[in-house]
Amino acid sequence: MTDKMRSFGRRRLLGAGALGAAGWVAGGGGWMLAPKGAFAAEPIRMGIATDITGAIAPSGNANWQVAQFAVEQINKAGGVVGRPIELFLEDTASDPKIAVGNVRKLIQERKVNVVLGGITSAMRQAIKDPIVNRGRTLYIYPQLYEGQECTKSLYCTGPTPAQQCDKLIPYLIKTAGKKRFALPSANYVWPQLLNKYARKVIEANGAEVVFEEYYPLDQAEYSATIGKIRDGKVDCVFNTVIPPGLQPFVKQLYESGFQKNGGVLSCVYYDENLLNYHPAQEMEGLYSCLDYFQSVDDPFSKQLQADYAKKFPDTKYLFTAGSAATGMYRGIKFYEAAVKATNGDLSRDAVSAAMDKAKIENGPGGGAEMVPGKMHCKMNMYIAQCKVDAGKTRYEVIASDKMVDPKEC
Amino acid sequence: MGIEIKLAFDLLAFISVMVLIVLGLGIIASMMGIFNFAHGEFVLLGAYTVYLFESSGLPGWAGILAAPLVLALIGVVLERLVIRRFYAAPIIAMLGTYAVGLVIREIVRGLLGGHYKSISEPLPGAFTLFGVDFSIWRTVIVLVTACIIALTWAFLARTSLGLQIRGSLENPNLARACGISTSRLYAMTFAFGAALAGLAGALIVPLYQLSADIGTRFLVQAFLSVMLGGVGTFEGPVLGAAVVGGMAAGLPWVVIPVLADPLVFIIALIIVKFRPQGFITQGRL
Repeated sequence: MTDKMRSFGRRRLLGAGALGAAGWVAGGGGWMLAPKGAFAAEPIRMGIATDITGAIAPSGNANWQVAQFAVEQINKAGGVVGRPIELFLEDTASDPKIAVGNVRKLIQERKVNVVLGGITSAMRQAIKDPIVNRGRTLYIYPQLYEGQECTKSLYCTGPTPAQQCDKLIPYLIKTAGKKRFALPSANYVWPQLLNKYARKVIEANGAEVVFEEYYPLDQAEYSATIGKIRDGKVDCVFNTVIPPGLQPFVKQLYESGFQKNGGVLSCVYYDENLLNYHPAQEMEGLYSCLDYFQSVDDPFSKQLQADYAKKFPDTKYLFTAGSAATGMYRGIKFYEAAVKATNGDLSRDAVSAAMDKAKIENGPGGGAEMVPGKMHCKMNMYIAQCKVDAGKTRYEVIASDKMVDPKEC
Repeated sequence: MGIEIKLAFDLLAFISVMVLIVLGLGIIASMMGIFNFAHGEFVLLGAYTVYLFESSGLPGWAGILAAPLVLALIGVVLERLVIRRFYAAPIIAMLGTYAVGLVIREIVRGLLGGHYKSISEPLPGAFTLFGVDFSIWRTVIVLVTACIIALTWAFLARTSLGLQIRGSLENPNLARACGISTSRLYAMTFAFGAALAGLAGALIVPLYQLSADIGTRFLVQAFLSVMLGGVGTFEGPVLGAAVVGGMAAGLPWVVIPVLADPLVFIIALIIVKFRPQGFITQGRL
């Protein structure tokens, strides 16, 4: 190779690398949304740390849009005790290592009063220390998760295993008449702890767990699992496999005739967004249990969806429960309620004390209230089943429970 | 009885997927000495072509037919612009192709908005034979893979163009002295490998979901297949892919699934220890 060629090759290589890097930088520079209108008082500084880029960017972007939407509503109504909310965004990039540095920026440079965000459990674990311990700042985590997070000044506004299982599993056993469960799962913390709880509820209700098995997150071939489901005469698959491993699993399960022969698939993180990841026929009959579905018949929720659609017309990022967007809305409203209760005092201890007893009248799927001393909230839970009309999927709410206890801490 | 047939079919279907993906990689590695780290992204682009066709209302079949052509074109352009500068330095070529792959992958991720997209099979459903259900699309993949292997082998081993390609691999200087334009042949070979990757992506995407990482998940196992089968032959990588695919699908029956992946590598490494040149060392095409 000549010298000229070599230098050309290297330059090309560097150029390609820089282009790749630019993709990351573009989304990660930090972002600020100042309130519109004139306010006399100093604004409340609210930090959003969520996954704008990377593998779970669709959920992160939905969170960010919902945060903008909720804050705009609050500011339009005159702010919190006369103070507007100013939003600061940092990208956690679906990568805990990048996230820690960016979250520190929120705390140290932006000096925010509260941080909301994080979607995966790995992300929460990574950013809670810089926020709560070293940062001495209030943290609100919005996603449904495996439970057991009992850190002081960390409030969880998504459903816990108890909220997702206590109603759904007895329903599957008693009403749908399923007796033999399989728990195929992705190999990480959420499925492991959720399964532990689910197994207890399954056995307490007189059904049986045929097998509980963990797979690498991107496993592409599931014939062994399908074989075990068939051999074990499983009639209910309680699934916690996640994308990208999920789609081949669901397809192979469907092709094996599991549903045709009376089997039932249940997946407790599945919302309206995720149905689109599969062909409609594979989703028909799926049971999910979440704090909100778009078909929930509640005037406030319907108005919320209409307003969200007006602010973000034709958006790809839906206001749904599985992506933590409902938890984000709830978290912002809880914070608003707490600051109202302290009459504008933003010190962490004062707001924490008020958060502990905070209550919101309305929200997606209904109101919610913190369980004092437990850092988790009671909320309405809905069981829904996927129906298919002319190739289009939708959820039909078939049962609901008011103010379900999170049973945490 | 039914269960054994179904198991054998599932194994065969997954082996076909593996072989489809490895074919293009193996041909570029064997015929040109380039380990193409952008191969996973070529598979992704094939899948993406089908998605583009589907989302603009054209039939999925057309997308599957177009994917290899689109990828052949991209292959030629890339070979002219980038790859040909690396023939003398295979290690740099790995880094260069990795960079190309990264750029492609992140661009597609941006275009998809990070979402997963479901692509439906052109032939959905199942047919019943001896009381066992067989997925139609998996059957199509098995048959197409068999045809592609046969055609590719015939092309390389039985046509005069194939002979020229093999000749250029053995001794480029002599080939040039005989009046063969090796640079044109290399461009063609690379385009051919890319086209096979595109076809693989287009065929397998209905089984999985379209996401920017669809290719990377298979890439490491594909390289393992080439290593196991032996570089420099056509049959080697195909055989290697069959073994790796068979192990990846079969091992979860006997060990817990999280152990199956590492076990594939351990077994492969043990085989390589005893056959460092791969399964097939003799009788290059």
